[in-house]
Amino acid sequence: MRRWLPPTLTVVGLLILWQVYTTVSGIESWLLPSPKDIWDAFVDQRDVLATHTLATTELTLLGFAAGVATGLLVAVLLHLIPGVRAAVYPLLVISQNVPTIAIAPLLVVWLGFGIAPKLVVIVLVCFFPVAVATLDGLGRSDAAINDYMLMSGANRRQLFTKLQWPAALPAMFSGLKIAATYSVLGAIIAEWLGSEEGIGRYMIAQKSAFRADRLFVAIAIIVVLALAIFGLVRLAEKLTIRGRASGRS
Amino acid sequence: MAALEVSELSHSFGSLDVLSDISLRVGQGEFVSIVGPSGSGKSTLFHLVGGLLKPTAGKISIGGEDAVGRRGLIGYMPQAPALMPWRTIEDNVVLARELGGVRKKEARGLAREWLSKVGLDGFARSYPHQLSGGMQQRVAFLRALLADKELICLDEPFSALDAMLRAEMHRWLLDIWEQNRRSILFVTHSIEEALLLSDSVYVFTRRPATVLERVEVPFDRPRRDEVVDDPTFIRLRRRLTDLLTASPR
Repeated sequence: MRRWLPPTLTVVGLLILWQVYTTVSGIESWLLPSPKDIWDAFVDQRDVLATHTLATTELTLLGFAAGVATGLLVAVLLHLIPGVRAAVYPLLVISQNVPTIAIAPLLVVWLGFGIAPKLVVIVLVCFFPVAVATLDGLGRSDAAINDYMLMSGANRRQLFTKLQWPAALPAMFSGLKIAATYSVLGAIIAEWLGSEEGIGRYMIAQKSAFRADRLFVAIAIIVVLALAIFGLVRLAEKLTIRGRASGRS
Repeated sequence: MAALEVSELSHSFGSLDVLSDISLRVGQGEFVSIVGPSGSGKSTLFHLVGGLLKPTAGKISIGGEDAVGRRGLIGYMPQAPALMPWRTIEDNVVLARELGGVRKKEARGLAREWLSKVGLDGFARSYPHQLSGGMQQRVAFLRALLADKELICLDEPFSALDAMLRAEMHRWLLDIWEQNRRSILFVTHSIEEALLLSDSVYVFTRRPATVLERVEVPFDRPRRDEVVDDPTFIRLRRRLTDLLTASPR
């Protein structure tokens, strides 16, 4: 509880400053709405927003799951098949230097306006942190335990399931946390490509109407959604990782 | 039939000769130690006996069977405890059995029984980081013992412990071993430790290591702590010290 107090106070303080500034300066609300304006916009729009939020949440979770699955698959394959790592790793890094915004239109050309190109966008931003972190974790299991396992007659499968995989879990969760925050961003970008509903779609509409207050509401929803998914990953981590003092052996 | 028979064993890493023409024997139920200067290839010998390496020349047989390059024939306790930080103590203890195909759940009962026998009751569900260094070493020894192999190899297991704890561990190890005779090959660079624990001691030279001498230790079992004050003990210690310091480069 005490841990939450300082950041909460900071946020509340900033909101008060913001409110005071907009009131005192008399700045136009289409340029910079006050927190009160934003709250009013939220209350006014809440039914519409509920539908859009639900759509974005679904897309995000689906994309996150697909991205994580892809990331884990890539990590395990690169780890287990000798030679593949050296051949593919540079390509992975290059793939991350291509801006998502730039390839998104191409994906629409190839895959149409359905859910497929949107999922691909999220997978593209999510799989990399998971793959890299997990691959790193798989390659870093303790040398002394590894020797012990070999002397005791462990085969390759046992080495993987009993040592390398459990040893990689803390690293994997670091990757999952990064991917969790990326996934919401990915979903918003995907919705900008063209979609019927979703917070991204809503933002485009409100931007054309110069409704800064509603844009701020959308941003707040994105933040809350990202935090919620991050929280889920933290929870899964706490339930999975046992017996280490602060993540180290 | 000897638990371990090593004959005319030599090993080189490239042009670096590490072991040269080593012959040694551990009889059934015998406690045999190897003392030698640091870096005299004692760990390489273990890696050869454990099947991690194949010797350049020579024979190794365990329980009468050819053991060159065969893993999983010995119980092994490494220098560092090398416990898995994500496993509970009981699950660490059963690891070697698990590698041999016994289900974890079946082996746990035995682990708990043994943990209370060796003064670790109440720690079955703890994790390694919650235990002191000495307790972790006990767990590592128990894991080697419960691998259920006739031959147990211990690689300088107490070198990281302070003198007081070391003496306590010697007593503890002897108590367990005297009640559960196995064949033990024990590597150390402490002459006193070797004399206190063993039936016979092999003295190794510097690299490339060869057997300088084999010394029989004549004291009765169970061995008393006062044996260190015995004139024969003191004479043997003097003799081994001279051998080690005079050992040619």
